[in-house]
Amino acid sequence: MIETAVAYTLAIFILLAAVATALFRDVLSAIVVFGAYSLGMAILYTFLLAPDVAMTEAAIGAGVTTILLLLTIARTTRPSTDRLFERINVPAVIVVGAFVLVLGTLLPDMYAVGTESAPIWGEQGVLTETPSLYYIENTFSDTGAQNAVSAVLASYRGFDTFGEAVVVFAAAIAVLLVLKREVFT
Amino acid sequence: MSQPDSYTNSDTYSESQVILTSVRIIAPFTLTYGMFLSLHGADTPGGSFQGGAIIGVTVLMLAFAFGIDPTRKWVKSSFIAGLITGGVTIFIATGLFTMALGGNFLEYDAIADTFGIAHYWGMEAIEVGGVALIVAGAVMTLFFATAAGFTPERHGNDTDSARSGSGPEVGRDD
Amino acid sequence: MIELLASRYAYALMFVLMGVGMYMMIANQNLVKKLIGVNLFQTAIFLFFVAVAYVEGGSAPIVPTEGAPGAMASPLPHVIVLTAIVVGIALTAVGLALIVRIHSEYGTLREDTLREVRADE
Repeated sequence: MIETAVAYTLAIFILLAAVATALFRDVLSAIVVFGAYSLGMAILYTFLLAPDVAMTEAAIGAGVTTILLLLTIARTTRPSTDRLFERINVPAVIVVGAFVLVLGTLLPDMYAVGTESAPIWGEQGVLTETPSLYYIENTFSDTGAQNAVSAVLASYRGFDTFGEAVVVFAAAIAVLLVLKREVFT
Repeated sequence: MSQPDSYTNSDTYSESQVILTSVRIIAPFTLTYGMFLSLHGADTPGGSFQGGAIIGVTVLMLAFAFGIDPTRKWVKSSFIAGLITGGVTIFIATGLFTMALGGNFLEYDAIADTFGIAHYWGMEAIEVGGVALIVAGAVMTLFFATAAGFTPERHGNDTDSARSGSGPEVGRDD
Repeated sequence: MIELLASRYAYALMFVLMGVGMYMMIANQNLVKKLIGVNLFQTAIFLFFVAVAYVEGGSAPIVPTEGAPGAMASPLPHVIVLTAIVVGIALTAVGLALIVRIHSEYGTLREDTLREVRADE
């Protein structure tokens, strides 16, 4: 019960932080609030039983992203302003509101968060083994690793991870290329 | 490394006793924590993506405390190049090695069948030798590249863009 | 209505966050804030994946060495999100590098000013 209450509170905090990020006129304020948003998101992930994702989000989302954004405004400009908030762009609000409403009509058809009858755990009344159940049941006997996330990452979906790692490598090269630098440091 | 008069890289740096002291205390622990996450990721929450990122962030933290340019000199370009390309090479080499033993790409059971090395260690090789090195190297590269910015040496030098540039890379000896 | 929101709060939050991210991409003139909007949109999708993997009363996906594992969050969406976060930061960095280049070429980060400058050329 207490966990649910904390999760709801976090959800409200995240929502407020996101809205503040969108509305703050000063870019520095927006970046700082975005860091808080990422940290709130990381805590919500731990409540949703995803400690691995939470660690990544806390280290990369809240840490490295904030640092890179700050460095970018230090290298370019931070427009000075006397107003605290942006003017609200009404046509954009209408378009985005319509988008959210259309998505919102799907909400009653979605499974409740955390229910065991969700499609990820297999179709109701049909004996099918979904990948999720397979990974949980066979991780230890197949790979000898206890952390199912690491096992899926490095063993079952190793080729996928290979692609991701090479994308990160390529992105680092691309940044050097865009900034016309020839050294890594 | 000579800086032009119009530009110094120290505009993002101010020496603070609080930050220096806390980074001196925290840095060994974050480095250890990152290594723990990478090396022990198979059995506890964590893994090489997180561990590599935290190892990279340790260097970022040092750069914030001691200034970016001293850190830039301390961390050699060849070191980061070695990390990041070494990671990719180890990853590909492991995959090709399993293929050479008759399995598929990254099918660690081929190693287990031939040498009796458990499946587990194939995974660890990828996690520690591949992903952790790549992520740590990439985080440092992204940081140093963004911190340096872009040097518009061949472009029109209106004041705004001249201020945004970085130390010259042309003629830099490293 | 309240019950619907309470049981599906993560999905409702995801929809609203997608809206906020999209608003930032459309309405904010500053390129850095646009990029923050892209990131916000991305984290909304990550929240969706993690919420799908969640199972009530379960545990984190660390399997016991012996005995049948009980109810547990699904590891597969976690892996997808994990790698997507790392790729996301790499792509954000490329975007930021492009922003630095744009600033050094045109001396501005505002989209409307940028459009005027480019129209003058």
